[in-house]
Amino acid sequence: MPRQFEVTRRDGAARLGTLTWRGEELTTPSSFESKEDLEFLNALTIHNAELDVAVITSQEDPKAERIDADVVILGGAPRFSDDPRGLTRALVRARESTNPDSALYVPALGTPNNVSLLVYAGVDLVDPIMAEVKARGGYLLSAEGERQFDATSRSYCMCDACRGVNVADLPPEQRVTVLSAHNRHALKAELCIVRENIERGTLRELVEARCRTAPMLTALLRLLDEEHSYFERRSPIVRTATLLACSQESLNRPEILRFGERVIERLKKRDGILLLLPCSARKPYSRSRSHRIILNRLDKLRQFLHEAIITSPIGIVPRGLEIMYPASNYDIPVTGKWTCDESEWVIGRLTKYVEANAFDTVVAHVSGPYRKVCDEAAAALGVDLVHTVEDGNILSSDSLQRLCAVAQELVAESSPKRRDLRFDYLQDLADYEFGPHASTAIFAESPKVRGLFPTYYASDGRTRIATIAGRYCTLALTIEGARRYLRAIENRYCVRIDDFVPKGTVFAIGVLNADPEIRPFDEVIVLNEHVIAVGRALMSGWEMQASKRGAAVAVRHVEAR
Amino acid sequence: MKTARASRRRYPRQAASGTSRHRTRANDRLAWTGVDLLNGEIVPSLTVLLTTKGCYWARRDGCTMCGYIADANPDAQSSDIQKQLFEVLAQYGTAFKIVKLFTSGSFLDQEELPLDARDAILSALADMPKVIVESRPEFVTSEILDDVVRSNQHVEVAIGLETSNDHIRNNSINKGFAFRDFVRASKIARSAGLTVKAYLLLKPPFLTELEALEDATQSILDVTPHADTISLNLCNVQKGTLVEALWKKGLYRPPWLWSAVEVLKRTQETATVICDPVGGGTRRGPHNCGKCDREVVAEIKEFSLSQDSASFTASCTDQMLWEFVLEFEEFSYGAPLVP
Repeated sequence: MPRQFEVTRRDGAARLGTLTWRGEELTTPSSFESKEDLEFLNALTIHNAELDVAVITSQEDPKAERIDADVVILGGAPRFSDDPRGLTRALVRARESTNPDSALYVPALGTPNNVSLLVYAGVDLVDPIMAEVKARGGYLLSAEGERQFDATSRSYCMCDACRGVNVADLPPEQRVTVLSAHNRHALKAELCIVRENIERGTLRELVEARCRTAPMLTALLRLLDEEHSYFERRSPIVRTATLLACSQESLNRPEILRFGERVIERLKKRDGILLLLPCSARKPYSRSRSHRIILNRLDKLRQFLHEAIITSPIGIVPRGLEIMYPASNYDIPVTGKWTCDESEWVIGRLTKYVEANAFDTVVAHVSGPYRKVCDEAAAALGVDLVHTVEDGNILSSDSLQRLCAVAQELVAESSPKRRDLRFDYLQDLADYEFGPHASTAIFAESPKVRGLFPTYYASDGRTRIATIAGRYCTLALTIEGARRYLRAIENRYCVRIDDFVPKGTVFAIGVLNADPEIRPFDEVIVLNEHVIAVGRALMSGWEMQASKRGAAVAVRHVEAR
Repeated sequence: MKTARASRRRYPRQAASGTSRHRTRANDRLAWTGVDLLNGEIVPSLTVLLTTKGCYWARRDGCTMCGYIADANPDAQSSDIQKQLFEVLAQYGTAFKIVKLFTSGSFLDQEELPLDARDAILSALADMPKVIVESRPEFVTSEILDDVVRSNQHVEVAIGLETSNDHIRNNSINKGFAFRDFVRASKIARSAGLTVKAYLLLKPPFLTELEALEDATQSILDVTPHADTISLNLCNVQKGTLVEALWKKGLYRPPWLWSAVEVLKRTQETATVICDPVGGGTRRGPHNCGKCDREVVAEIKEFSLSQDSASFTASCTDQMLWEFVLEFEEFSYGAPLVP
């Protein structure tokens, strides 16, 4: 029997999907509606007919073979209503022990308040049971939480159920009717908002807002964030939406941790002179006023320096990665003050970055909280920093002059190699996206770099190798680039497909084997005996391998091998 | 999610038990007096807990909801047990119509209660109009009952049948005997001229509220022909039991008091059922929303004596929630909808 559930869009562990449900297409995440729905599903747990339905417990062994069903029910879910730790463990286990194209139904737990977090954690289906239970307990539910009704309560809700009714004045039975209609409505409305946020890639922002309304939900998000690999394995490599880092939890977003890890573990080791600069509100940084002033003053000296930007919450952004998500696209509340958590995180990233590379000198053109971060990192490393800002203003003529003088002096002293700065972008993106040594593999001899910022491209004179392309500013390989990569690094970022010529989209069913490291929107190389192709992954590599339905890769170019 | 109101402990102390076999360790008394129904009359009764080495089944295997073995004394000697009774009688006198002897095991098991102690205790109470002793059915044999009758002809044999459904008794309770064992024991007891009391359990684990309600109702109807007295026990969460482990994981909730009321109402026409909601209104005991619990507990106790469903007058807004739970709990696939 074909799969009755298909994931159509992903945002981390959350996804949009379509479930064939009683003859209709149900867009998930969604809530079952009626008692008939629940009875229908219940009957399917005993006799699978239209749908393959499995009930699982929170004890499933994630190492055992994945459970394969259209709908998976997490049995006894309401017991986690007050247990964020148990809920975290149960949801992660549920998704890790079932097929990625199974819909996860969490019965009798969803409310307008918590449903965004449930979906964020990987839930596809909920029901109105808790909305009804709460109505009978006299609670009015909303996305912001629950409110008990007493004689003095008023509903300010404008939904059909509440409008024109003073709920508190009603006799108990009518009150329950109104509250239950309202609560169901609130759940459906919140699910609409959740779906829209998945579509825009902003569910995390919604969840960070919602979790503020209840300690249980804040605890849940923090505990979910401890499941880093679960979320990282599902998080896209790029987004178009701006990452809003408005809360303490933002520091622990999977993409922020991943960016930090990759800067240390994947990028080519650099040496010579490191110039640390503060971040700017405008992204990419080099398009901001402050960076333009500084960079213009440095002018040709830049070719001898390695620039890195210090920023909260991302940590350290080497200049070449300033066009890569999330560095290219985030916003934070700017107050000139950093919290301890922020400082500590950035100090850690800076320390690790300096440790991982082989710089001779570190020049810090920073002030305020940035300076403190630099000093603490330098102290931790036992390194002497060269500060070029003495008056607290990075743009003062004094500071700029000192920066140029210091740079000139250092360059004269050590005479480092001159570099094509545009090549930095290509190299850093290649390593960031394809892993250590990818840039060496792809751009073996120093290639010709052309193009306008940021869409540089590299060629060996005649054939193009790679281009910084698309709205995401990621490095896209040409077939030539892919061949070069394959020659040096086998299998990584490769998707092996059945014996067919891919056109347009490769579906998961046609994938034989895929690098589990592949993330949604990663650039991948598609291969079989006869053809080589390049394209963009639409789901994670491990998911391509385990799924039966869904688009796996959008192919751009195909050639015979 | 759960509110402070719902998670608040409802009553600071367990409600003291009056007349039931069920008790909690919070209640350390070894004897107490109360009133009970005897042939339609309300009479004074004395309940005595005898500490023995404990139920053999609990020592070997055990039932999912029973934690009484924790109160047993592995070294209990025959003389100790006799002494316990005589001390209680010395303190409370014998001006009762009913004496209940609870060993938290099988009174008729010679391993648990040596023969000399059994004879001495029963002989001492030979003039009591009714002496209730508890036993698993495997000890209700003609031989043993012949012995019993020689010492005392007013014995009522109380058997913890829990449910007439063998499937539930096996899988949810792990009781280790079948309905037909109970029926056989009942016939033997009656042919020895003794009366039979059946304990039924409302809401063993792994049942929804509705399943529990229907099981108890059906069990009462099934047991009526074989028992002179039916006692409906509302499951409570005892220390060290499987039920407690499930309860702590949020996978078990004691029955609603409304369910007990419903069972009593449904069977009122056909059977005489007594019920003492031990721990009623506490988190570990049968409970409702917290507002109406005291009132409903009192009404259930009153009904046990009056057998008149006019005793049930309480109403509360949480009945709507209870009705919803009956209808929808099965769709949670294994957990109660409300604590």
